[in-house]
Amino acid sequence: MQLRPQIQIQTIIKAMMEDVIPALDQTNQLAMQSAQLTIGTLTMIAQHLPLEYRYDCDELARLIDAAAKLREQAQGGTQTEQAVLALRAALESGREVLDRARAEPSEIVEAVGLLRRATGDTVRAVYAESEPSVRDAVDATVLEVSKEQLLRDRSWLLMQGWEPDPGAVPAVETLLRPVGAV
Amino acid sequence: MTVIDKDKPSPEWIAQMRKRFKVEREIDRALTFKLEKRAGPAYSKLPLDTLVEGVRSLIASQYGEPFDIRNPHWLAGGASKLQMRFDLNWNRPGVGRETTRMVLRNDLAEALHATSRAREFQIVNALKGTLPVPPVFWYDNTGEHLPYPGIVYGFAEGVTKPSNAKSGVSGLGTYMPEDVRNKLAPQFVENMARLHTFDFRQAELSAFDIPQTGTENAHWAVNWWDRVWEEDADEEVPLVALASSWLHKHAPAVEQLSVVHGDFRTGNYLFDESDCRITTWLDWELARIGDRHQDLAWSTSRAFATMAEDGKTLLVSGLMPEPQFLEAYEQASGLSVDRKSLHYYQVFNAYAMVGMTLGTSYRVARNGKSHQDVLLAWLLGVGYMLLDEMRDLIEKGP
Repeated sequence: MQLRPQIQIQTIIKAMMEDVIPALDQTNQLAMQSAQLTIGTLTMIAQHLPLEYRYDCDELARLIDAAAKLREQAQGGTQTEQAVLALRAALESGREVLDRARAEPSEIVEAVGLLRRATGDTVRAVYAESEPSVRDAVDATVLEVSKEQLLRDRSWLLMQGWEPDPGAVPAVETLLRPVGAV
Repeated sequence: MTVIDKDKPSPEWIAQMRKRFKVEREIDRALTFKLEKRAGPAYSKLPLDTLVEGVRSLIASQYGEPFDIRNPHWLAGGASKLQMRFDLNWNRPGVGRETTRMVLRNDLAEALHATSRAREFQIVNALKGTLPVPPVFWYDNTGEHLPYPGIVYGFAEGVTKPSNAKSGVSGLGTYMPEDVRNKLAPQFVENMARLHTFDFRQAELSAFDIPQTGTENAHWAVNWWDRVWEEDADEEVPLVALASSWLHKHAPAVEQLSVVHGDFRTGNYLFDESDCRITTWLDWELARIGDRHQDLAWSTSRAFATMAEDGKTLLVSGLMPEPQFLEAYEQASGLSVDRKSLHYYQVFNAYAMVGMTLGTSYRVARNGKSHQDVLLAWLLGVGYMLLDEMRDLIEKGP
């Protein structure tokens, strides 16, 4: 997916700064302040977006360490015992989730890119030197995988309004498998 | 694996692109010009005075008499050009002293197409008297006078859609009311027929290379967009690799070459709203000498179609159903429509548009090279619908 928030935010900020803000009534303080805050917020989102997942995993790892210590340290009455039980459950759940969170989102995108390039190169090579029967088989595989992926791409961008028959495109939530089920 | 930085292309990589993809000489020049400038600065807002001075320098370099530029102002519209309206007071050859309304169409640091102003100038001049085209006066092919390459046209009167009509960005999906389309449709067909039967061999078109009849023109066309994809795209798409290979493998032979507009659709002509007469055909920058089926297929693309009032009839370029369009074209031109070639160029056109949107739009917006990066980033999204159209066409066959 080429249309990602990074490039969208970058172009929105440029349009705001070069076209929208200069056209505003410069004496309208509310409008000027809101426009500046819009740019500031978008700039912050652009900075945070690539790090958000790492940020959360980092916090989870430190909380797991702290919870492990607390589990040993916390002693007291019934109330403390119940709290430690809940802490232990949360600790195990957190460890299990962190254990599965082994790849950075950027690594997933890189792996997708690598496979896309390798697939494209294979297609070109087959067309350059293989038998028609091999070519036909490769065509069928690429067309099939493209069909499934493009359905998701089109659904992802449905609100842009490009589809002649938007009702025929399922909602993207129904098309994406949960990460654990992949 | 060697990583190519397409934002800062090296001279070696540029040379490799030029060698790898055989395209017409002037297209090669325009694409090379784009790459050589790419590492340069992003586009920043130009003052109107800069364009006025550029136009003054351009006119003075080619016109020896006194002249005066009056009333310059920005003209809205155009995702890939800056446009300035102005009045030129001059001694117009063959007319005498007059004030002529003119338009400068100026390129940006980079845009949706890297094309040639010399080709645009020549083809519009050549078609004068054959099709309604605007007068064209001067051009700057390399940004010698203007900040970027540009071309000066006479101002053309008319509208691209009825005042109360709806359309998407860049005139896509323009809805024409029935009474309007009934008047425009026959002219649309007639104009296309005249274009495709125009005797280009007698015209001054030195910026165009004429392919051999047969498949050469198709390979040149595919190479053009192969090169654009290679130079601009960030993310590989396996279906694009498949489409490119498929297009080279299935290139159809053409017996009669034609001038092809390259963007023949509603949104690229002006008409007089009072009588619905087409007054001007615009946007000739993708024109080439090739196969008429390229234009026929372009006009019939889903991307430019609208639905009729019955909710089930898709109208070619918002004007008429496809069977009616093709039949009328054959009658008007005396040229046949070959279904296999039409299908081939439908795949080709989707391929070219995928290159423009997913490839070029991305690269231009990423590097901040245009005045409407936000629009180009938005346009990127249509690439997936086009990819799916292309996939469907290849899968189903002619």
